[in-house]
Amino acid sequence: MTWMRSWEGFLFLVLVLIYALNAWTSPVFLTVGNQINMVQLSVEKIIVALVMTFVIINGEIDLSVASVMGLAACAFGWMVQAGVPGGWAIVIALGIGLACGAFNALFIVGFGIPSLVVTLATMIAFRGFARVLVEDRGISGFPDWFNALGQRGLVGPVPLAIIMFAVLAVLAFLILQRTAFGRKVYFIGANRAVAEYSGLDVRSVKIRIFIASGTVSALAGIMFAARVGAIRGDIAQGFELDIITMVLLGGVSIFGGAGTMSGTILAILIVLALRNGMALQNITGHIQTGVLGVLLILSVMVPIIRETGSRLLARVR
Amino acid sequence: MKHLKVSTLALCALLAAHGAHAQAVTADKGGKVNMVLLPKFLGILPFDQANRGAEEAHAELGNTGTLLYTGPTPENSVAGQIEILTTAGSQGQDVVMLSNNAGDQIAPAAEAAQAAGTKVVTWDSPIPSGKGESLFVAQVDFGSIGVVMADMAHSIMGGEGEFAVLSATPDAANQNAWIAAMQEALKDPKYANMKLVDIVYGDDQSEVSYNRALALVDSHPNLKLIMSPTTVGIQASAKAMQDEGLCDRVKVSGLGLPAEMVSYTLNGCAPEFALWSFVDLGYLTYYTSYMLATGKIKGEVGETFTAGRMGDYTIEEDPGRPGAKRILMGPFTVYTKDNVEAEAK
Repeated sequence: MTWMRSWEGFLFLVLVLIYALNAWTSPVFLTVGNQINMVQLSVEKIIVALVMTFVIINGEIDLSVASVMGLAACAFGWMVQAGVPGGWAIVIALGIGLACGAFNALFIVGFGIPSLVVTLATMIAFRGFARVLVEDRGISGFPDWFNALGQRGLVGPVPLAIIMFAVLAVLAFLILQRTAFGRKVYFIGANRAVAEYSGLDVRSVKIRIFIASGTVSALAGIMFAARVGAIRGDIAQGFELDIITMVLLGGVSIFGGAGTMSGTILAILIVLALRNGMALQNITGHIQTGVLGVLLILSVMVPIIRETGSRLLARVR
Repeated sequence: MKHLKVSTLALCALLAAHGAHAQAVTADKGGKVNMVLLPKFLGILPFDQANRGAEEAHAELGNTGTLLYTGPTPENSVAGQIEILTTAGSQGQDVVMLSNNAGDQIAPAAEAAQAAGTKVVTWDSPIPSGKGESLFVAQVDFGSIGVVMADMAHSIMGGEGEFAVLSATPDAANQNAWIAAMQEALKDPKYANMKLVDIVYGDDQSEVSYNRALALVDSHPNLKLIMSPTTVGIQASAKAMQDEGLCDRVKVSGLGLPAEMVSYTLNGCAPEFALWSFVDLGYLTYYTSYMLATGKIKGEVGETFTAGRMGDYTIEEDPGRPGAKRILMGPFTVYTKDNVEAEAK
């Protein structure tokens, strides 16, 4: 029963509780259609949360993800409008995401500037490029196949985006928890200096993580464009905070070195189920935001309380 | 008191359509229709007023179903509206009454809701492409708003000088249609000495609009007027001009709520502005949606129905959006220091 005492075990119990509560209060909650909607409405965020887990465990942060999503989506829309075939527009937009990630990595790894500062700057800059690109317009009229991929079921009622999330979640889990690369991510995040003295290729690991972050964010941005069938300059704005919230709730330490992919995935499901359950109970956006805030505070508090508690217990003994 | 009626043309069309149909259909009271009133976001007065109108109609019609007033937070407006509309479809709501803030991004969700049996009636701001939308309840003829704004600008600026527009979000369909209509109206030789120098966006958030208004003054030293066709923008602009002591140089006008604008009108920062009744808009939207959901109207062009205390309305083609259908409310009022106090109470 040790897993029960782990953070993941706790999250799992919370998830089961929320599912039970939702199912009890709304007959709609457990229907296939609603479960698909629930995931699809946030699928872009949760895909980026997977890669954000690597970033934070590695002791870094990437605040520019939502701006990269916006830039890739706007670049895609702009290219389609300019007559570039949809397939090429996707490839180029992904390339832009990769370049954004490489640009972040250049300053963080190359010049040694803290990622908080670099990605705060590029968060603003990439969003600016997106707005310059589409100016103050909305662009729609994407190819039918593109919209269909974002809006219709691919396998039965399950759309491509959810399948992609599932595949990426498994991949992310395997890479983080089962490969040498994953172990390096933890080791560097726990103590960068020791990792460097041990001869680990710290720089190459960080570069790869930021490039992955940029590319996956671009993918998520394109998926968002397909789901809503239109873009504008403010697309995905503010998503970075939701994404980081999910990762921290999953038990990933903001100081790096600790956390698991299964924690992130459980936290994602908790946030989605909680939001959906509240929406089905007609609870408004302000209260939803508040509840998620409280949840995040608790998730930070619980480990501290537990630690203090056990220390006190030890002293009593 | 200066009242501006719907453009004569629209009125003629209304009367002609009325004549062709002998009888306006009336609503059956006591039906069971579950309805959702979905504003752009919560927390601004005009949407609360629209809800008051909807509640009035809800009680009047004795609807045994529910009327839910829910919306996203301002920062999450687009994703939030899509989420609420999607959830309404899952819940099996009968109608969602939407003031769209998501441009065409909401069209797939609206189409999905329609497929699930939930009708989508827009009000205040439509879906630009008309996709997924059953009907649009327009507050006033979009063309006539353009003329009224041009006229207010003309009167405040004395017919000459530079002015700028402070709008809401870049692709709010209503805002863009009104600005376009004003630009069209400005082509008249009467306005030849007036120059529209800039259009900026305050995202319908007070803080952003306030800063954009001040930035306008900085970047255009000869600016004489800020025209803001949004209740949030006009109030924020007026406050910005007042706070910085700029009211003598730069005036503010546009579409505003008397209750929010009264002090700025009396102190001369915003000598003239216009608006229609949001309470009536909510009331008419509710009637339209209720009758659509109960099958009394089908949502076809030419159908005429009675919307309680507001009288008869006819569904017509939307001149601004090919293929889309609208119901035109009208008229609206221009407020000055002579009539604003009475309305603000």
